[in-house]
Amino acid sequence: MLKQRPFLIETLTAIGLIAAPFLLPHLGFAPNTVNRILVWGLFGLGFDILFGFTGLLSFGQSAFYGTGGFVAAYLLTRAGFSNVLGALIIGMIAAAVTGYLIGLIALRRTGIYFAMITVAIAEVFFFVEFNPLSDFTGGENGLPGVPTPSFNLGFTTVHFTNGWSLYQFIALCYFVGVIIALRIVRSPVGAIFSAIRDNPLRATAVGHNIHGYKLTAFVIAAAYAGFAGGLLGVLQAFMPPDAFTFDTSGQLVMQTAIGGRGTLFGPLVGAAVWLFLQDFLQAALGLGAAWKLVLGVVFVVLVCFLRGGIVGGLADLYGLVSGKRARPAAETEEEAEIETPQQAPPAPMQAKEVAHPAYSGPILKATGLTKRYGGLVANSDIDFSVNQGELRGIIGPNGAGKSTFFKMLTCEIAPTSGQIVFEGRDITGLKVTEVCQLGLTKSYQVNQLFTGLTVRQNLTIAALAELRGKFRLDLFRKLSGVKGLTEQVEHTLALVNLTRRADTPVSELAYGEKRRLEIGLALATSPRLLLLDEPLAGMSPRERVETVKLLKSIARGRTVIIIDHDMDSLFELVERVTVLQEGKVLLDGTPEEIRTNAAVQEAYLGGVHGEIAA
Amino acid sequence: MTDDLIRRGLSRRGLLQTTASLIGGSMLPAMPAFAEDKPAIGSYPAGVSGSTAFIGISVPRTGTYAVQGEDELKGYQLAIEHINSGHDLIKKISPKTSKGVLGKELKFGVADSAAKPNEAVQAQQRFISENKAIMITGGTSSAVAVALNKLAQREHVLFVCGISGSNDTTGKDCVRYGFRQNFFGQTAAAAIGPVIVREFGKNKKAAYLTPDYTYGHTVTKSMQDFLATAGWTTVTNQVAPLGAPDYSSYLLNVANSGADVLINVNWGHDAVLSTQQAKQFGVLDKMKLVVPYQVPFIARETGGLMQGVYAATDYWWTIEDKFPLAKMFNEAFEKKYGYKPEWGAENAYVSFAHWARMCEQAGSFNPPDVIKAYEKGETLPSLVGDVHYRPEDHQCVRPVIIVKGKMQKDMKNKEDWYDVVEIVPGEGLMQKPDAFGCHPGDYS
Amino acid sequence: MISWPNLVSQLFNGLALGALLALISSGLTIIYGTLGVLNLAHGAMFMIGGYAGFVAYQYTESFLIAVIAGSLFVMLLGVVMERVIIRHFYHRPHEDQLLVTFGLGICFVELVRLIFSSQSQLVPPPALFQGITNLGFMFYPTYRLAVVGIVAVALGALFIVLYRTRLGMIVRAGIEDSVMVDSLGINVYRVFMVVFGIGAMAAGFAGIVNAPVVSLTPGIGDDILVQTFVVVVIGGVGSFPGAILGGLIAGEIISVTSMFNPGYAYVMLFAAMTLVLVVRPHGLLGVQGRE
Repeated sequence: MLKQRPFLIETLTAIGLIAAPFLLPHLGFAPNTVNRILVWGLFGLGFDILFGFTGLLSFGQSAFYGTGGFVAAYLLTRAGFSNVLGALIIGMIAAAVTGYLIGLIALRRTGIYFAMITVAIAEVFFFVEFNPLSDFTGGENGLPGVPTPSFNLGFTTVHFTNGWSLYQFIALCYFVGVIIALRIVRSPVGAIFSAIRDNPLRATAVGHNIHGYKLTAFVIAAAYAGFAGGLLGVLQAFMPPDAFTFDTSGQLVMQTAIGGRGTLFGPLVGAAVWLFLQDFLQAALGLGAAWKLVLGVVFVVLVCFLRGGIVGGLADLYGLVSGKRARPAAETEEEAEIETPQQAPPAPMQAKEVAHPAYSGPILKATGLTKRYGGLVANSDIDFSVNQGELRGIIGPNGAGKSTFFKMLTCEIAPTSGQIVFEGRDITGLKVTEVCQLGLTKSYQVNQLFTGLTVRQNLTIAALAELRGKFRLDLFRKLSGVKGLTEQVEHTLALVNLTRRADTPVSELAYGEKRRLEIGLALATSPRLLLLDEPLAGMSPRERVETVKLLKSIARGRTVIIIDHDMDSLFELVERVTVLQEGKVLLDGTPEEIRTNAAVQEAYLGGVHGEIAA
Repeated sequence: MTDDLIRRGLSRRGLLQTTASLIGGSMLPAMPAFAEDKPAIGSYPAGVSGSTAFIGISVPRTGTYAVQGEDELKGYQLAIEHINSGHDLIKKISPKTSKGVLGKELKFGVADSAAKPNEAVQAQQRFISENKAIMITGGTSSAVAVALNKLAQREHVLFVCGISGSNDTTGKDCVRYGFRQNFFGQTAAAAIGPVIVREFGKNKKAAYLTPDYTYGHTVTKSMQDFLATAGWTTVTNQVAPLGAPDYSSYLLNVANSGADVLINVNWGHDAVLSTQQAKQFGVLDKMKLVVPYQVPFIARETGGLMQGVYAATDYWWTIEDKFPLAKMFNEAFEKKYGYKPEWGAENAYVSFAHWARMCEQAGSFNPPDVIKAYEKGETLPSLVGDVHYRPEDHQCVRPVIIVKGKMQKDMKNKEDWYDVVEIVPGEGLMQKPDAFGCHPGDYS
Repeated sequence: MISWPNLVSQLFNGLALGALLALISSGLTIIYGTLGVLNLAHGAMFMIGGYAGFVAYQYTESFLIAVIAGSLFVMLLGVVMERVIIRHFYHRPHEDQLLVTFGLGICFVELVRLIFSSQSQLVPPPALFQGITNLGFMFYPTYRLAVVGIVAVALGALFIVLYRTRLGMIVRAGIEDSVMVDSLGINVYRVFMVVFGIGAMAAGFAGIVNAPVVSLTPGIGDDILVQTFVVVVIGGVGSFPGAILGGLIAGEIISVTSMFNPGYAYVMLFAAMTLVLVVRPHGLLGVQGRE
């Protein structure tokens, strides 16, 4: 992540761009090559936000590059429009609108499907450019004669003609592009982009409308592509139909992966390497057509061994040399574990304010809940009710349908029949995101964390959902500008006892810590009803004791439902227990009643007695 | 640093000017002293301040026009060699030439355009900015020619066009800085039209195979317009992208169209492939084939399918018995490359020779002076007799040669593919200079 | 505008094109269905099949040997590629799998370009199938006619492997539920390798069989790859019958549109794909599941 001193990156970029014309000629870069690199770099800024930050690999960016380029070029060559910058901006808007419409279709699917669809859609644009629209785009001819920009400043006219003169204009565009991109990735929206990349399921579950955010990233990438496409026309006095080809998209993908995804500057570095090698291998080494083979091999090797590309590799190297990211060894962690209990337990966290405080019935009421998978009945006709402030346990042997039941309550899966009412409101058929926004969420049986991010970033993402709602386009707001965010994150950190580990990447956490973070993620959304799916699973006895304490403090001020196999811990925690067996409610009662109930003894406890004893 | 400046209230524009002046200051000393007392324009005089002058050549060496591009390149190389050595043939065309052009030795760079305008423009931009090319050339695809036209005009560097058959090259997309020697859609149609009407009769039905870019569209249009005057109709016009791998669906449409004549405007490997497949789908047994814009090497590559087929061309080597310069050229070319030149090489050679002559006449490489030398419109020698350039659109007025594929039994040697049917004088073939919307633009 | 002879001709031509697309796509789809990897180098393997056959033909002048050599070489290439590289990507994100196969595809194409240059190469059809056949309603090149039959036989063979053998059972089970196959105690990795080889071979076989129809260039696989995506999306990712249905639909769309204006053929093809995505997101014969 790009977390540095304020304006450091901006300043370095500006210095680099100003120094380039003085330094690069000595390295054998011609101005035209540098300009081309910048255009690719600008194109890549948007693509990196889409791919590197949001995790959506599109092979169809040529569609937007071409759209922006041809709209701008058409305005400038055929429509008698003379304002170059204006045309570029109109082209950018056209590309963004196109991106929105395409996104509506392409984002219906994810992963491999998404990649295939983007390829196919980009091909449509290519063929449309050649046939139905060839009167506007010139078809195979392209649009020659794109002028260069000039600005009338009143006292003089600045005309950017070619070479280093045009460089000033393009460099300025790139600089503005970098500033905007940095603002975006540092904004709350940027944080959510990373969350979508790392774990779209959890990003949805903590209450973000990820479809909306994906579409946002797609449109941003399209807008950058459109502007860069326009610049390409300006740069070479000619808008080539090649802009629409699959090769364009492929080259962008390769440059980004070579330079380093998720770094913003990766595409620029990748383009520099690409164009430099192209010139160098062809001219200096006389390799002719083999240059692309060399690049292909470099690319494959980088994908295999250096996932972060050149920039990522350099960053790792820097980290290694400076020792900044030397991992705290396991022992120090042990110490931390031992120390923490001595701290005063933090104040209980406030749950989200009740939407309609007048309501006083059961917080959750499920009636006739049934789930069938084909012929298999997972849950059958479950009636279930929890009162406000209650701490409820659910037990049942493996395959009793506990997790399915939880998934239905949080609306991750839709029941085959039955009804769920949360605080008097029918939530059956709502989306998991909406339900979370209402104040009902769960922690997962198997950790669902944002593994590429730090603990603090994880909690930030969850807290943002509560503070900002499920979708909001505050692209230029700083994270620190979100009111109450820091407090909520710090508070959650303290509550789940991870304050000392706040800036540790999730991948370096111990298992118990991950488990607590899992609960923290649910907690950071300030739910009024929290479902915990086996929070103690896989923990050592000592960790269990700590976690039970944690759960108790969490339960103050909110309603909690816990599934667990560890009966001793569970019976100690909860006030009432519901027993599920074979997808049905077997019994409902206080821990004491359950413990002594003959049916439970026979049907459940008897069979797994050994497990309980352990 | 930038942030500080901005915070102190300096506008971005101010910053830009600062940057601009910094760069300007750094660039100025690098500028060479002016060689002649003319204002700098384009790559002049920087490109000719030494003892050499650089030419940027972009021809397709891969892709569908690769074979023709290589032939064209040989023509350029031969011309440069002859100019640098002061060969007799060059002196016949450009009498003032001794060695090189204006005493400068010609150097050149070659880039593969793959017949794609984008590649050509990129390569030529490099030649202009890095090698200070004083003249650029390229073509074989009119899309390339048109794009380079515009680049030449913007960069103020002379563009001497390679093979380009589109009416637009010296029509609506003409520029002050571009010149074309070879024949094109309009003159091809006007020359071959009467021949095929005479051969096949009036009121016939024609099917067209047209490549989807400026060359194809304008050549087909010119043919349609001309043949309409003899009552011909178009029953189908199949427009295919450049480099199509398979023509089966186009040819099925042609086969079922009921046409009498198939006019194949495709070029390069596309022409070869579409003609071969036309045979495979039985089209050539149903209708007569005409190739209005002849493709170098097509007779050889289609293996006899051009027998009896009419085509219009720029040059065919057997005219050497009528034109002594053609004989000199054929001999020099065959000696160096081992085969008879086709028209791509001829056009390349002649257009360079004409350019050398114009520079010598202007007494300078200064582009506006060279352009004005062309625009005098004086009569020049070429391999097909006397020609001249029209000042209005920079198109060379030159004859068009109508050939007909020979039957195998009539071929005197393995390169004797065609009979020359007619050499049609250029003057009567040309449209009015403004008919295709040419507005060439400024000198500077 | 519609002439019946032309419609019949184009429908027939669409069948020929569709059969070929079906064969290539089924290779792509069984690899994806079993391994969960979308092989972006599949188009390049189609191309290599053509070139490998071309080389074999140069030496032996036998078309049959060319077909065998082309298919086996690509199968071998697929197996090596799976063992050396793809295997390490099963547990990496889809994006990395896409990137690495995309990169490998580029390497293959450029390597072939380096060896054979960009000039197109010709493999003549076997003597048996040279010439033109008069089908009554149309003239059709005999070899193209033969291709329809050859591809049909190949698809039949693939069907037998997938539906009548133990391997096929495992493959189909893997498409339905890869976790279940894991738990059956089958050496999944060996199955993966074999499947990758078979999928690659389908592409290679198609490549050499198609070589006499069009001339070979290093870029020949790129367009085909995109078309197979469309086929697979229309038919349903991972579905063998879907690939065949999708292939035939795609072939007919291209041909029938060509009757009116060939320039719109691919626009219509992609429009059909979009329609399928909107109406049936998992494809005509696809099942919900893997993404």
